[in-house]
Amino acid sequence: MNSRSLLSKIAMYLILLVMGVLVISPFLWMLSVSFDRVSNMRIPFPPSFIPSEFAIFNYELVFENGRILRAYLNSTFVTLASVTLQVSAALLGGYAFSKGKFRGKKALFILVLATMMIPIEARLIPLYQMFNASGLLNTLWPVIVPSILYGFGVFLCKQYFDRIPDSLREAAQIDGAGEFRTFFQVYLPLAGPIAATMIILSFMGNWNEFVWPLVVLNDENLHTIPLFLASFSLENGTALAGMTMALATMSVLPIIIAFLFLQRYIIQSIALSGIKE
Amino acid sequence: MGEQVESNYGSKKVQDVELTKTKKKKAMFTWLLFLAPTLIGILLFIVYPVFESVRLSFYSSNGTIENWVGLRNYERIIGASSFWNSVYNTFFIGFFQLLIAIPLGFILASMINRIQKFQSFFKVLFFLPNVTSIVAAAMIFAFVLQPELGLLNHFLSTIGLPTSTWLSDPSTSKWGVILLTVWHWLGFVIIICLANLQAISPELYEASEIDGASGLQQWFYITIPNMAGTFAFLIIMGWISGLQRFNEVFVLGGAGGSPNRSLQTMVAFIYERGFGGFEFGIASAATCLLFIIILLFTMLNLKLTRLKI
Repeated sequence: MNSRSLLSKIAMYLILLVMGVLVISPFLWMLSVSFDRVSNMRIPFPPSFIPSEFAIFNYELVFENGRILRAYLNSTFVTLASVTLQVSAALLGGYAFSKGKFRGKKALFILVLATMMIPIEARLIPLYQMFNASGLLNTLWPVIVPSILYGFGVFLCKQYFDRIPDSLREAAQIDGAGEFRTFFQVYLPLAGPIAATMIILSFMGNWNEFVWPLVVLNDENLHTIPLFLASFSLENGTALAGMTMALATMSVLPIIIAFLFLQRYIIQSIALSGIKE
Repeated sequence: MGEQVESNYGSKKVQDVELTKTKKKKAMFTWLLFLAPTLIGILLFIVYPVFESVRLSFYSSNGTIENWVGLRNYERIIGASSFWNSVYNTFFIGFFQLLIAIPLGFILASMINRIQKFQSFFKVLFFLPNVTSIVAAAMIFAFVLQPELGLLNHFLSTIGLPTSTWLSDPSTSKWGVILLTVWHWLGFVIIICLANLQAISPELYEASEIDGASGLQQWFYITIPNMAGTFAFLIIMGWISGLQRFNEVFVLGGAGGSPNRSLQTMVAFIYERGFGGFEFGIASAATCLLFIIILLFTMLNLKLTRLKI
């Protein structure tokens, strides 16, 4: 019995390890090709996780091109602005749905939940025309502004504020605090954990956003990282392996580093999004 | 005068009612302020575009000139094999992504749950693909799946398995994308499964252990039934995002989904017609159809998965 369970334990570690290596190998190969001097002429073969001729040549090419830095700046700006909007709107909205007493609250909340079902894809053309008519096409605004609606965030915040007792509110209001002061001075300081969760989810979502920016940002100077990657990839196919992999590394690295530092919180956030109450 | 005195009590009541009414109105106004950003967002970016999509679907439009055409757009789409091809591709890729990723992710999560050491190491390892953008992942996989020099075929031939043409042939290209989507989504499945595995009450296992159940028996008779809700969640989430698939097929095959439209999804069809050909009416009609398909399919999924619980 005991030796059998030990054996099954060893088998589990072995399977997990093999699967883990398989999962991680595209990244390792990406790194190896990106540091291989001759890889732009031909994909190094047989594939190896050590470059045949180590050089940072491909990275120099990528930086010389300069567009990647521009894309980084654009992505950073768009993401920070969107996250700020989303998280603020969700905290305010979630608080109202949790503590507010007004007519039509339930119906409104259902409406907010329903918005999660309507993807951006189903609204592309009218939104495009709307921003076209307002002259904001080919600026970063159309990417930022619509993020003010964050149904999932409102839902998360409502659930969170529901668990904070009403007695805090009553105490504050006996002291003469209005609804806004109660929110900002009593409830907001307690909302740290849920705010952090939303910042993480919203950051990843906005940083990787693709189809909507693709539609509204035709100007190459405004391209975000995913747009820049896609246009480079579509132009070059599987030629220029070294440069492509250097670009991929550059784009993936910040997220991976952030993930390694914050992994506990990120994994918690994702898990939270999948646990039904 | 006398009347006033008489109705004194009554008017105080009326005043009270008025007071609470204005108080209520004021409170309502305050709550609306809290909700203002969200409500403005819903009106501008959901309600208006949805109605406008429906309206546009009855017009022939290139963005400036609009002509009423009634149901002609719908007729044209329903008669177009390219639309049904995109529907087929979308469902094919989505179906096999879920069929492979959910059982595989659940088995891996069960193993991670059983081991004591390196739990978080494996979590991080498997979750890594999911935090990188699918666009970057597709860019890397274009090389991994390269038939002659790519990593995957080399690995397969080394261990003696047959290789494939993957993305360079319409008959195998969807499997290349399925592989990519499974690789990218697996970590998410594992994390969700793990969180729910750990939420199963340990008493259930203790009780069955007293009854002499083996680990495998426990897994079949306790773990799997208790995970029904989690599987339902994953199936629904997987389908909703699967039906909206665009990013990875666009990077790998462009809006046309090459080779030979074998990778064109429904959203790619909409994108191609709308922003490639400026046929806004056709694209809007396709959008409405896509939305109806998503809605019906989600309801069907909800029904089916709930039946199983």
